Amino acid sequence: MGRPRAFDEDQAVRTAAELFAGHGYEGTSVDDLVTALGVHRGSLYKVFGSKRGLYLATLRHHLDRHVLPFAAELATARDLESALVPAAEAFDGGPAAGLLLLAQAERAHRDPEVAALTEEGFAALERALARVLAASGGPDAEAGPDLAAVLGAAVLGLRLRSRTAGVVPKAARALAACAVPPPAGTASRPADLPTGE
Amino acid sequence: MARVTVADDTLTVEVEGLDKLWALRSRLEIPLANVRGATRDPGIVRDPKGIRAPGTHVPGVIVAGTFHRDGERVFWDVKDPEKAVVIELADERYVRLVVQVDDPRAVVELVEGARRGR
Repeated sequence: MGRPRAFDEDQAVRTAAELFAGHGYEGTSVDDLVTALGVHRGSLYKVFGSKRGLYLATLRHHLDRHVLPFAAELATARDLESALVPAAEAFDGGPAAGLLLLAQAERAHRDPEVAALTEEGFAALERALARVLAASGGPDAEAGPDLAAVLGAAVLGLRLRSRTAGVVPKAARALAACAVPPPAGTASRPADLPTGE
Repeated sequence: MARVTVADDTLTVEVEGLDKLWALRSRLEIPLANVRGATRDPGIVRDPKGIRAPGTHVPGVIVAGTFHRDGERVFWDVKDPEKAVVIELADERYVRLVVQVDDPRAVVELVEGARRGR
């Protein structure tokens, strides 16, 4: 305990987060980590206890540095479209982009601590969307959180596709128009809806 | 080969079969509070292990016994690197145990889950 750490823990966690985001938990071996982090295996075990201990630290770091600040920024969007489009394009971003969604798919169902961390990220997204809804003339306070949950799920689906599919901003705009229809008299822009071609 | 079990807040590692002769110490009991985690780590066998005393080390064949390196004492019992699991400890005679188990994935989940449940 009293001995100084032999390496920069924060840097190690950042590098490990990128590895886990790129290759998944199972796909990243201790050899991969030792090589990329440039640390002794013994130091790695001493500081983090296990590969899982390091993985949990990377998720915590990714949430604190990227996911939660991004959600806080989304909450200040002036309207729903200004929140949904960036969320669909860049939620769960940063150097370890995709770590949260990958953790949810790969580990959360087997590991309650991972599930608690991913849920924290998703809940932050929903809260941000609920706030934007409330501020932009969405449904009443009772239905708002439900709609925010639906929008959050849709955004995560779009985010999953955003690295390969080009329809994301368009779909996110359509989603915003469905959730909070523009006032009567303005164009409803049906041409913006995805056509499913 | 080692058998790893958890009961009553205690992790028990029993070295089975002939390995007992080489590893000398056949049963280790560790309070869960002193267990920091478990990891499947086939690559650890290629790391320098330090000086053995006591036990046996036939390079490339078998690693069993107590090894000292950088002031750390590590317990080894591994023949098949693919089945090596590293159990990290705190405030114990050994800083870590590197043991071969039948089902590494199950042992890792057992140990990590037991820590979580405390």
